[in-house]
Amino acid sequence: MLTWLALLLGVTIALSLLQARLEKAHMALAYLLLVLFGSSRGGRPIGLSLAVLAFLCFNFFLLPPHYTFRVHEPLDWLVLISFLITAIVGAELLDKAQRQTRAATQRAEEIDRLSMLGAETLNAGRAEEAVWAIAAVIRTTLDLGSCEIYGPAGEQFRCIAAVRRDGFSPSQNGRLESLVPEVLNHGRVVLLQADGTVILDEHGPESVSEILARRTDAFGWLIPLRVRGRAVGILRIEDQVAVRPDAAGRRFAEALSFYAALGVERVRLLAEAEHVAALREADRLKDALMAAVSHDLRTPLTTIKAVGHEILRDGDDRAALVIEEADRLNRVVSDLLDMSRLNSGGIPLNLELNPADDLVAAAVQQTAGVLGDHELQVSIPEADILVGRFDPVHSVRALSNLVHNAAKYSPPGAPIRLTLERVADMLRLVVEDRGKGVPADQTERIFEPFVRLDGGTHGGGSGLGLSIARRLAEAQGGRVYYQDRPGGGSRFVLELPAAELPVWED
Amino acid sequence: MSEHTILVIEDEPQIRRVVRHALAEEGVRIIEAETGRDGIDLAAAERPWLVVLDLGLSDTAGITVCREIRKWAIMPIIVLSARHAESEKVALLEAGADDYVTKPFSPAELRARVNAQLRRARLSEAGATDGLIRINGLEIDPGARVLRREGQELHLTATEWDVLRVLLRNAGRTLTHQQIFRAVWPGSPGDPQQYLRVYVARLRRKLEADPIRPRLIVTEMGVGYRFAAMT
Repeated sequence: MLTWLALLLGVTIALSLLQARLEKAHMALAYLLLVLFGSSRGGRPIGLSLAVLAFLCFNFFLLPPHYTFRVHEPLDWLVLISFLITAIVGAELLDKAQRQTRAATQRAEEIDRLSMLGAETLNAGRAEEAVWAIAAVIRTTLDLGSCEIYGPAGEQFRCIAAVRRDGFSPSQNGRLESLVPEVLNHGRVVLLQADGTVILDEHGPESVSEILARRTDAFGWLIPLRVRGRAVGILRIEDQVAVRPDAAGRRFAEALSFYAALGVERVRLLAEAEHVAALREADRLKDALMAAVSHDLRTPLTTIKAVGHEILRDGDDRAALVIEEADRLNRVVSDLLDMSRLNSGGIPLNLELNPADDLVAAAVQQTAGVLGDHELQVSIPEADILVGRFDPVHSVRALSNLVHNAAKYSPPGAPIRLTLERVADMLRLVVEDRGKGVPADQTERIFEPFVRLDGGTHGGGSGLGLSIARRLAEAQGGRVYYQDRPGGGSRFVLELPAAELPVWED
Repeated sequence: MSEHTILVIEDEPQIRRVVRHALAEEGVRIIEAETGRDGIDLAAAERPWLVVLDLGLSDTAGITVCREIRKWAIMPIIVLSARHAESEKVALLEAGADDYVTKPFSPAELRARVNAQLRRARLSEAGATDGLIRINGLEIDPGARVLRREGQELHLTATEWDVLRVLLRNAGRTLTHQQIFRAVWPGSPGDPQQYLRVYVARLRRKLEADPIRPRLIVTEMGVGYRFAAMT
């Protein structure tokens, strides 16, 4: 300030020495120059002070009567006042221009930093590293104590990145953590006050900038990170003083939190993609394993069966047992493979229109070898051909399993009855045997894998027959259930979706 | 003599042995190939009467071998497979295979299938395809479209006759649904399953003594149908 006063004095002295040769306008302009110079160099306060002081000096030293504040010529007042106003306006305008330039430069710098950050984010090798980088930038830009970014992990959430100022540790507030789902799922905002209380803010979706501007007493915030309106993560910031970023800081926070949201989404999408790739690989391995097992088990069984037949042909009856056991082993292998496929959800279904006749005939044929001395009595409606929508192979398998089961639990010589009828919109196939039936408390248990009731014959098997039958039926929109047979024994019912006979022109 | 030569294309020696023992008879010569490539070469060189082809070959896929042979030969091809997928069976039958046997099989089963194919081939050579057929108490005259059971005439619709004739012409051979549909409704873009299976069911109810235990029209679930082999 003193420099300027000295300059003012200097100019005044110079002007008074040259007074004779100068007009009032020249003197006014000289002072004006000084004021503008001072304003541009020293800022608004200097400029305004100089304007007033110059006004006084002009009056006192240079206008007659000299060394007084009185003015002889009334027009001289006009000169003085005009000078003062011009000087003040000049100083103000200069100041405003300077402020605008500073703001523009600052904004240009912000844009540069943001675009660099954006490029880095998109290029970052690991998606999580990008989120860490963003958290670090947010913390340093807003000079926060800590900045943490949360993202989803399955049904829960986890902290993806956390950066802290040295020596600062965010409050371990259990209530804060418990509110994370609120923020994630409902987009609410949470703030932490000086006394440690936590408030759930009820305002609707706003931008990050608006949120931070609204309350200036918060020491910490949990803010939802949004992509296209959807909350995909959480920004948690905290400091030991109130978090009060200025306008530029809030703008930054807004832009950075958008990048943070994108970063969190990227982490999630990459995890999903990896998961899908892993599942696909597991599927591929499973299929390869199935094919290998199928082939490697059935080839030796072929040899065993064939050689068994040769030995039988040569007259040794023991070979019949070898053949029977080879068949049984084959059934167990098939059952295990099917059960495994059903469990991993991978049974392909061909749901097609099929006559029920075919289903019954195929099951009869498939079970011909295991019926033993049990007669299979079949009853189907005479007049109509019943039609259903089901997978032919799997339905035959289910029905055959029920018949085979009946054969195992029927007393010697007892017949097994298979009935077909249509009930409402289902085809109903009932397999009845005259065995001991199933105790009331076991009627659901028998459909579990590997459960076998006492009393079954050594027809053996894997214990999976009923379980597979039920799963296959359900996969096609049908079901399998048990009923007591009136008069003793079991009724196993297979229901499959019925269909209408297609109309044709014949 | 080539009419008694059977070519076995199979990479596992135990299965080759099984097939050899099952099919060996007086006057039958069995030649063997261990790889698909060798099998194709041998089939071209020896022109066997029938080929038994395993799908699980080490060098080529069985379906490729089947298609390759089918490009220049019409002898019956019976396929052996450990996998039981119906879609695979359909694909093979459409690629030109004549029958499909799943492991583990009994030698008797294989023998029966081979004999059925040889009979069919012999019959089609002799040209006896649309002649009068007597089987199971039925008298079928495809040419005149007359069907009698024990003297009583039975009525079949025109389409039922078409389906029956396709089956008869390929007696002993498994036809896929697609193949039958294309033969009976050529050029039709319709969906075979809608009509065909119900037609066959109706046909069976008319022809068979016991529709539940059919002797003439055998269903291969998920694949197609086969008319019983005729002597």
